[in-house]
Amino acid sequence: MSNSPAAPELKSDQLFVNLGPQHPSTHGVLRVGLTIEGEIVVKAVPDIGYLHRGTEKLAELRGYHHCVVISDRWDYLSAMNNNLMFCLAAEKLLKVEVPERAQHLRVAMCELNRIASHLLFFGTFGIDMGAFTAFLHAFREREMVLDLFEMSCGARLTYNYIRLAGVMKDVPDAWVARCREFLEFFKPRLKEYDELLSFNPIFLDRTKGVGAISKAAAVDWGLSGPNLRASGVDYDARKSEPYSGYEKYDFDVPLGGDGDCWDRYYCRVREMHESIKIVEQALAKLQPGPILGKGVAKVPKPVPGEAYVHVEGARGDLGCYLVSDGNMAPYRMHIRAPSFINLAILQEMLVGERMSDVIAILGSIDIVLGEVDR
Amino acid sequence: MIQYFSEVFGAFFAILKGMSVTFKTMLKPSITVQYPTEKLVPFSGFRGALLFDAETCISCNQCVKACPSYCIQLENAVNETGKKVAKVAWYSIDFGKCNFCRLCEESCPTKPKAVWHSKDYELTFFRRDEMVRCWKKGFDFVGLYWDRATKDFRKPEGQVQIQTTQERFQY
Ligand code: SF4
Ligand code: SF4
Repeated sequence: MSNSPAAPELKSDQLFVNLGPQHPSTHGVLRVGLTIEGEIVVKAVPDIGYLHRGTEKLAELRGYHHCVVISDRWDYLSAMNNNLMFCLAAEKLLKVEVPERAQHLRVAMCELNRIASHLLFFGTFGIDMGAFTAFLHAFREREMVLDLFEMSCGARLTYNYIRLAGVMKDVPDAWVARCREFLEFFKPRLKEYDELLSFNPIFLDRTKGVGAISKAAAVDWGLSGPNLRASGVDYDARKSEPYSGYEKYDFDVPLGGDGDCWDRYYCRVREMHESIKIVEQALAKLQPGPILGKGVAKVPKPVPGEAYVHVEGARGDLGCYLVSDGNMAPYRMHIRAPSFINLAILQEMLVGERMSDVIAILGSIDIVLGEVDR
Repeated sequence: MIQYFSEVFGAFFAILKGMSVTFKTMLKPSITVQYPTEKLVPFSGFRGALLFDAETCISCNQCVKACPSYCIQLENAVNETGKKVAKVAWYSIDFGKCNFCRLCEESCPTKPKAVWHSKDYELTFFRRDEMVRCWKKGFDFVGLYWDRATKDFRKPEGQVQIQTTQERFQY
């Protein structure tokens, strides 16, 4: 059988099913070519590329300031982390320092964005499993985070907030108080989520023991982020290679046990608890000061060289490899997109699962197609 | 058999528990707005549709260079003797390409800014012609678009403007 998702040769009792590209649970345009035998999946081939915009190539024609705007469009659900990842790489090339206040603002924004992104996962995963209420609750809270972003940078999805050597602008005075207010509001909500969804027996039945990834398989396939940690592998770039001053923050890395759908789900819910802690600490550390470092020209031209930086994005280990040849645009930019790499395990994982569990597994991997295709 | 019923009851109680959260929320005030009739006003600093002032602009090309999608175009004005002056003859932004990223506004050296974001988030277009907004001397800040069929400037009708929330200009 060829590896192409189109037109596989089927045995007489097999059936070829196209999941997507417009299936609501794929959260974007992903097609999975499924060959099923009765109810059991015997072969699954994810077909990607529907959202390919060639941004890595585009970056070779754009300046470094422009690339921050491009980076918003990869993982549009946690664009702050993308901004940060690109800026860290470019700062490494340009060898500029980031002021203290900007560091804390960056951390606070990234963690808020992680909350927003996990909330979206929480809501849509609930919908995939047939629990609609959780979605509405999650979006109520997400709206508040987006309001915070709107207050600080003026956009709700594509922030362009983290800039080379700092952040776009200082947060308004009311922002910190409003952010604290949100965190206080959000803490009891997490308890409600557990009541609504996490320990609901119907939800547990559909997710516990489904699509388990062993520790070894998770490492072999290069998974990262909550997907990896749900399998019990303790790896978090914020801990192992701290950036932006994460070493000064006190937080735990939630780990799962079996690596099944529920573990992946609950890992994210617990990460939201940790993110709250980090944001609180970042707000406490916020001292008045400059927010933009010096030494970044209007058209930066770093000395020839290369830099690799990886950060812990909402979906996993987000990496950026930048090569500069001394011109105004990067010579080459490569993104290690966690969604893309996490998606690859699907072809192994789905085999032997029931058709009804495919959606649960796909949802629990939490991919963003903008990042998969770039 | 006993297990079956205990599972059914377990699920039933879980639903009741979930419902209690729903009922608690039901008694709280509503947080949604009825959009077309009620409109939320964005925070100050919102990056909405761009406005432009042909009087303030000194035609320095900074915004053109700063734009990541190269969607700004302008042409220098010339005086009677054919010499370039620090004014624009025309200025246009292609909203079909715009990222709403504020790089143009940040790079603009004039005070007040000659190009700036409004709070208008209801930017909609019926035709592609409408996406390219054009400004000239005497046009208002919202600008007009060039209709290729009728060959004249028109008011952007596809845009429902939030008329009361512009920062610099009242309609
Ligand atoms: S907002 Fe950004 S994309 Fe739009 S015109 Fe200004 S610089 Fe260009
Ligand atoms: S809008 Fe501002 S930056 Fe652009 S040409 Fe005019 S003065 Fe220069």
